Formats: sequence, C-alpha cells, structure tokens
Amino acid sequence: MNILSLSLRNTGRNLQRTLVTTLSMAFACFIMIVFSSLMEGMLQGSERQVVEMNMGDIQIHTKGYLDDPDIYAMITDTDTIIDALERQSLNAAPRLYAYGLLAANMASAGVQLRGIRLRHEKNVTKLYQHVEKGEWLTQNSKKSVVIGKKLASTLGVSLGDELIFVGQSSDGFMANEIYMVQGILKSVSDGIDRSGVFMLEESFRELMALPTGFHEIVVSRQDRNADLDALTSQLQNRIPQYEVKNWRQLMPVISKMLEGADAQMIVMLIITYVAVASIILNAMLMTVFERMHEFGIMKAVGVSPWQIVRLIYAETLVQTIFASIVALIFGWWASSYLQLHGLDMSSFMSGSISFGDIAFDPIWYSYITPESLMTPIIFLVLIAMVAVIYPASKAAWIKPIDAIYYR
Amino acid sequence: MSSLISRLALIPFFFIINLAQAADQRTTDILAEIDDLWRGKSSYTLATLNVKTKHYTRSMTMESWSKGKEKSLTRILTPLREKGTITLKSGNHIYTYLPKTDRTIRLSSGMMMGSWMGSHLTNDDLVKESRLEEDFDASISFEGLRDGGDIIEFTLIPKADAAIVWGKITIEVEATSHLPIKEVFFDEDMNISRTFTFSGLKMMAGKIRPSIMRIVPIDEPDEFTEFVFDEMTLDIELDDNFFAKSALKRL
Amino acid sequence: MKLNTLAFRNIFRRKRRTLITASSIAFGVMLSVTFTGSGDYTYTNMIDMGAKMGMGHVTVQPMGYQDKPTLDKRLHHSYDNLDAILAQEGVTSATPRIMGQAMFASSHKSVGGAFIAIDPNLETTENNVILQTLVEGETFQADSKHGVVIGSKLAEKLQLKIGKKMVYTSTDVEGEIISNITRVTGIFTSGISFVDSSMVLLPLKSAQKALSYSPDEVSLIAVMIDDQRKAKAIRDQLQMLPSNQGFDVLSWHDSQPDLGGVIAMEEAGNIIMQLLIGLLIAAGILNTMLMGVLEREREFGMMMAVGMSPSKLFQLVMVECFWLALLGLIMGIIITAPWYYFLYNTGIDMTADLGNGFSYGGVLIDPVFKARLFPESVVAILGSVFTLALAAGAYPAWKAGSTPPIESLKTS
Repeated sequence: MNILSLSLRNTGRNLQRTLVTTLSMAFACFIMIVFSSLMEGMLQGSERQVVEMNMGDIQIHTKGYLDDPDIYAMITDTDTIIDALERQSLNAAPRLYAYGLLAANMASAGVQLRGIRLRHEKNVTKLYQHVEKGEWLTQNSKKSVVIGKKLASTLGVSLGDELIFVGQSSDGFMANEIYMVQGILKSVSDGIDRSGVFMLEESFRELMALPTGFHEIVVSRQDRNADLDALTSQLQNRIPQYEVKNWRQLMPVISKMLEGADAQMIVMLIITYVAVASIILNAMLMTVFERMHEFGIMKAVGVSPWQIVRLIYAETLVQTIFASIVALIFGWWASSYLQLHGLDMSSFMSGSISFGDIAFDPIWYSYITPESLMTPIIFLVLIAMVAVIYPASKAAWIKPIDAIYYR
Repeated sequence: MSSLISRLALIPFFFIINLAQAADQRTTDILAEIDDLWRGKSSYTLATLNVKTKHYTRSMTMESWSKGKEKSLTRILTPLREKGTITLKSGNHIYTYLPKTDRTIRLSSGMMMGSWMGSHLTNDDLVKESRLEEDFDASISFEGLRDGGDIIEFTLIPKADAAIVWGKITIEVEATSHLPIKEVFFDEDMNISRTFTFSGLKMMAGKIRPSIMRIVPIDEPDEFTEFVFDEMTLDIELDDNFFAKSALKRL
Repeated sequence: MKLNTLAFRNIFRRKRRTLITASSIAFGVMLSVTFTGSGDYTYTNMIDMGAKMGMGHVTVQPMGYQDKPTLDKRLHHSYDNLDAILAQEGVTSATPRIMGQAMFASSHKSVGGAFIAIDPNLETTENNVILQTLVEGETFQADSKHGVVIGSKLAEKLQLKIGKKMVYTSTDVEGEIISNITRVTGIFTSGISFVDSSMVLLPLKSAQKALSYSPDEVSLIAVMIDDQRKAKAIRDQLQMLPSNQGFDVLSWHDSQPDLGGVIAMEEAGNIIMQLLIGLLIAAGILNTMLMGVLEREREFGMMMAVGMSPSKLFQLVMVECFWLALLGLIMGIIITAPWYYFLYNTGIDMTADLGNGFSYGGVLIDPVFKARLFPESVVAILGSVFTLALAAGAYPAWKAGSTPPIESLKTS
C-alpha cells in the first residue's frame, strides 16, 4: 500500500474537514510569524533608537572623561584612529563638547555644545534625519546651530531666531558668539532635548579656541550582527591609552531594560506558542478520532498497527506542510508590509516622545529574520507530530470491534 | 577696581564695623582703620589682572568705577580680543556687555559659580558683598611675631544665618600699620581652601596701600590670580546714570 | 424538545472535544487576565510614582506655568485653596510647593540643580518620593530656617554630610539673585540618577522668605488622589472651584506628557498582543465548532427532513456555542483565580533581573511582576472572551442550517 498516495487521497476525500483543520493551523502559524516579526522589530527598533540616534555602538574617550568632562581632556590622534576604524568596516564620527550658557530674548539656559564633523556624523548617527523644524547643518552653517526640542521651547525661540552663547574658551577668555537657529530636533533623548546645541566643528573650534583634538569618537558597526563585546575588547586593546566602551556599558539601565523587554518577549512568545499548540492539538485529535470507525475497518481487513500509524503521520505531514506554506506566504507578505510601513501608533501618542534616554517613534516596525519565519513553522510541525501521537496510537491498537463502534 | 578689592578682601571688614557685638573696641578700631583704606563714596581704579592656570596664562588691564557698595562698572582695555567688555553691577544684578556680539546679557543664578574672566574668582564673589551684611563675628586670634613680622590676626566666623560656604576666614594685618598681609579661607572642616596675599605697598590716592592682591587655590598651588593696582582715585563725581544698563552701549 | 437542553447534551456527547475547546477558552481568560492585570498594575505604579515626584496626579498651577515654569509665577491664597481642594471627593492630599532652579555650593564645589520647597507637616512618604527614600537623617521641621534634604549623589559631589553647610543661589520673584544658607538634615537615594544628583527639599516658609514670596504664595499645589483613573474627572471638578479661578488645573496626562505617551504606547502594544491571542482562540473555537457541525451533517439533514427549520438549527448550534463559551469561562475563572491571587499578593520577583530601584525614564519601577485588575477590566475580559467565542460559532451555525437535507443525507 502506497502510504503517500493513500494519505493524499484520504486528505482529499473529506476536503472540507481537511481544509478546516489545515486552515486553522495555517492561521495560527501565520499569527505567530507576524507576531515574531513584530517583536523582533520592537527589539531591533529599540536598540537601534539608542544606538543610531546618538550613542553609536561604541564610544572612545580619554580616560576619566566620562566622570569629569574636562574640555582639555582630548583625543589627539583622531584621524589615524578613524582611518584604522574605517578600514575595519566601522563608521566613526568625532565630536567636540563644551558647556556654557545660551541666551535668547530674556531667557537663558545651560547648554552642552556639540561640535561635529558633518560627513562622518551622517555615517554614524541618524540625527540628520531627525529634524522636526527647519533643517540639519550644512557646510555653510558656520553661524547656525540645531537645537533640542525642549531647549527651543525653554528659550522661546523658533527658526531663524538669534541665540547668544557665552562660555569660557580654552584660553580663559570669555567665549561669546551669536548663532541662528537653523533647525529644531525631534525628541532624541532627555539630555539632547533639554540642552543639546549642534554646530560645525569649525564653528566650535573658533568659538572655544581649540584648534586640534576631539573629546569623543563615536563608532558604529556596518554589520549589525558583529559581536559587540568582542569588538569592544579588540578596540580597547588597540588603543590602550584611551577608554573604549560600548553602549551597553555606557547606558546600563537602558541595556537592562531592553534585556528585560527581551525576556518579556520570550515569555509572550512562549505563551502564544502554547495557545497555538492547543489549537493544533485540538485539530489533530479531532481529525483522527472521528475517523476511528474507518480505522477500525482497515484493521479488520488486515492493516497493521504500524501501517496505521504511518498513515496518520503521513496525512498529518501533508496537512502541516500545506498549512506551513500558506502561513509562510501570508506571514511573509504581512510582515514585509509591516516592515515597510509599520503599525501606526500615533493615534495613541502625540508625535515623538523621549522617555529617559531613549526616544520612541510612534510607528512600530516589523523585522523579518529567518528565525521569525522558520521558528513558528518548525514549531507547528513539531506540535502537530506530537499531538497526533495519542490518537494515532489509539487508532493503531484499538480492537477493530471497538473502533467500529467508537463514539 | 577698588570696589572689587573691597568686595573680595574686605567683606569682613566693612561689616565688622556694623557688628552688633564687636569683640572689643580695639578690634573694631583696627578693622575700621583698614576699612578706611578703601573707603570712599566713589572710586576710579586702573588695574591689571594676571591669571595663571594649568592651561593658560593671561593678562588683562581694566578700568573700574564704583559708587557706594551697590554700583560698579568695569571695562576691559587690553587685550584687544576682550577690549570693550563691560561688567555692570547694580544692586543684585550683574550685566555683561560683549563687544564682539554687541549684546548685553544678564547673569542668571546659573552663572554665578562660573569663573569671572577666567580667573579663580567667581561671579558670585563679585556679587556677594551686597548680600553680606553682618555676616561674621570677629575676634583677635593672635598677636605677635610670625614669619619675621609683627602681626595681628583676626578670625572671622560666619554667623548661623549667613549665606557663606566657608567655615572661617582669618586675616593677618601688620601690627603697626594695620595694612593687610594675608587672608585665608577655610572650609567647614577647617581645611584651607584658598589664600589671598597682599603686597606691593605704594602710595595711592594719598595713602600707603597694598597694590597687589594674589589668590592661590589650595588644590592647585601653581595657579594664581593676581590683581595689580596701577592707579586709584577716590571720592570722584559719579552720576547714578553712569551705572544704568542703558548706558552700557554708550561707552 | 427544548433547544437549550438539546444543545447542552450535544456538547457533552463529544466530551473530549468540548473539554479541549473549553480549555483553550479558559487559557485565553487566564492570559488576558495576566496581561491586563500586570499592565494595570504597572501603569498605576508608574502614574502614582510620577505623581509622587512633584506634580501630583492633578496639579493646580499658575497660568502658563506648564510652558515656562519660572519663579515669578505664583498661586495666591494657597491655604484657603487647600481646604477647598481637600474637600473634594477622591482627593487624598494636597500639598503646596515651590519649585525652582538653583545653584548649590559648598566650599568645595558648586553644581546646578533644582529645589522643591515643602511644608513637612503636609508631606508624607505617600505623596513625596524623596521622603520615601530617605536613607540618612530626617526631614526638617516646618518652621526650620536652614534645613535641607539632599540627594546622595549631590552630597557626594559637594562633599557634604549631615550637619554640613550648603549655600543655594537662585532668583527671587523680582528676578534678583538671592542666596541662603542651609544645613543638611537628611540625605535620600531615590535610585533615579538625576534626582539624586540635583534635587533638594527646602522648608516652604524659609524658601518663601528667601524668594520674597508672601506666606500664602506657592508655585503649585500637588494633588494626590486615591484612584489615578479618576484624574481627569477630579481635574474638571477642581477647575470649577472658585478658589482655582485664574489658575490652570492639569491632570498628570498634561503635566507629564512623556509619561502619558509611554503608557499609551505600552497599552497599545498590550492590546495588540491580546488581540492576536484572541484571534488564535477564536480560530480554535471556529475549528471545533465547524468540525462538530460537519460531522453531524447527516444528523442535521435528518432533523431538517423531519421539519426542523434552518433558523432553528442555527439557534441550536449557537446555543451549543453559548454553552461551550460558558463552560470555558467558568473553567477560566477556576484556573485563573488562584493564579491571579498569587500575582496580586506575591507576584513574580524579577529583582534578580532588573535590580532594585530600576528606573524607567525617571520613574521608579517596582521589579516585582504583579497584577491588579480593575473591576471594569474584569468585565471587559469576560465579555470579550464570551463575545469572541460566540462570534466564532456564527459561521458553523450558519453552515449547519445551510445544507439542504437531501445533500447531507447523501453522504456515504
């Protein structure tokens, strides 16, 4: 007896029943795929928000700079370091920092100046895409700045308004200059929102009398899957005179939070899988049990128990494969759509918000990974196979006379 | 600039005079004498400020007018980069006019702890004087020979209500001339925080006074801020309008 | 024969299938309870904590204060106002406060920060997170002239200990720069970095004097309520009070928009999750019911042949579904109750993973995973599970009555 052809014929015989079973399995699997991708997207998105917006994957400073940001604590061989990094497929952007007072009209606020190198900054962070009003800095922005969202409202300024910066330059003089507001950022992080002022490297150097050196180099991986910890140690070994830290070490709370979210995600997935398992179990059990009569007849005419088991498994396999294909097609399609367009949650939130040190975008994107597609399918097949054990064995070893009357 | 000196070094002196309870008449008298060294209803000074820190060494010359304790105006003459910068103090407000940007800003409480002109003094030090009425209890803590000179040392303890961060301040004066030699600021645990020394005695505005004041912070003994008085005239005619904010740009 | 009884007996004809389906409904109830409950608990926690951090659940503040919180903006006749506010139902406390920026200096250093001036008689650990996290020393008395409570990180930066001096400099109501001396009476560690390194508590009376405020002027009144969900309603009531005319009354949604945003986002995520699970369960029910209908095609055909109308058949299946749903719900309640009880009282301690004093963007989070359901949430869960189950049964029910008897009787 050709099991395969028999199983196919059996499946086709009661098409309705098969369809119902298969489609519910497919549906369950589809939900799982969409869900996994959304979760993956959430995780990736959160990490990316942190990393891409401002922190980068890794940061380099002079030793002790983070505890006591001294304008004189500078990295001196910046260009050499950046070249070496770029040869290793890492993007790097150097930065200058200083503190001072920004005044406009009658209001003033303590701010942190950030001198950046445009070209490099664009490779490493997405800040340039995050401007809410106006535009990002350009090569001509010698006397313009881009400021944080809350800073703009504290000072009561908008595009084109004038700002005066006053601070102490490196040679002890009173640094002061007028700048124009060229852009106002969306929410990035608490620090930047409240006190971030971005300007060109040249403008910074002129203002603060710092002709060379940088305070920070921000590094990001081009390959997002490269091992962060390994990379951090490797870089630290190459430049032992400086301090190399990755974003998890720099922002342990956020890191913890995302890990916590990770764990939560897994719990959710497990729960979802259990829910799905019950459906599949249900479907398979019913499929077999209501054909008990049929199996009884088969046994009565001499089909061996093992053949019955093989038959049932073959049918199950056919159904699950069919379900998988359907689930895969629709799941992939739906997740791709969500990966591109995302779930718009802006009816729940007004614009972008920053909470603590991360900004949240109101659009939830999916992210398709091989795991998010294959795991649900593998799971489906596995559960189905397991679910069928009980009814299959029952069918295989029941006494024909009982089977015929099986209710 | 005399107002600056008086503000910084002689804060205690001015108000010791007003003490409800002067420890004894002699203290009051001597401190009154010292006080008279700088007193004048108004003043004009020309001074040089030298600052040396780990990262830079600078020198500035400035002229300064003052009227009473409340009003003073300082204008920087050299170097060229800062020429024309004016600091105006009127009551509890401080304004700074910046010639480079042609703007005037008012110092907020946030800037008070910033260093003034890159020196070891803070903006707060400048403003303090007007708010330090009756802030210390003074007494003589030592009289006799020290470091090869005959001196009297006063110890000033801030009163319980005074907005002073120091634990105590000691002032050494020359025993006969009552000219100030040294002033030491201590933190609450009675560790030295910074030291002012006075030297360069010369005739100014009809009297012998110290013309150089040097400030050395205890944690960076190689650094210092030094005021050198080149000229001083007291009791000159000064109109209140001279110290109005609107007058800043006119200068 | 009564439809109900028939339906009921039909269900139990297929015990196993009924049991499995009912279990999945029960499971759905449990999941829903877990997610909604933990969500409710966490959000309430976050909101209450946020309220304790300074602005209360509802804040009475001068007009325009939200956009530009400067010290020249004040509320007047505050103490009279307090009485009127406390008289409102649902209000548990109303505390007048002054909030402002200042520089804090010791002989070692000076740093910028902010202060909250409070009346210690009115403030407790219930409405003030700083008081709740005092680690050393104590709060000052109401008439204290020089007391101050500072954060542990601030104490470190300025090298201060209990009893040491600290001078704060700020701008008074006329914009004049003022300073005042204080002595540290207490030190707190809230676990939130920026609070520990830049916030202090001052005595209200002393601050009023320093800032040249009159004794009944304050920056805002922070109102705490017993149930954070009533925030908007109470805000409306308070806004109508005559003593609040000319002032802004805001709920935490507006005074802390970031918190509101995050909660909204989490809630949305939660809802989407539950929706997906709900769909899964519905699929399972659909599957079961449909199978049940399909296998009884013959039976139904027979019934129609002897005169039962299709609509009656539809009703029959729907009632079966109803019984199934009910069974599932009851099972759900049975298995969920002890689980919920556990979560409510003990919760899952995640301190190992998250550590104590875990702060999610400025709000302290309790690392214990607990659940708390509001009555309306319970109704919502049971109701939606039930509705979902019934909806899932609609198609099979329709199918039952739609096949003409001659067709169904034909099957071999």
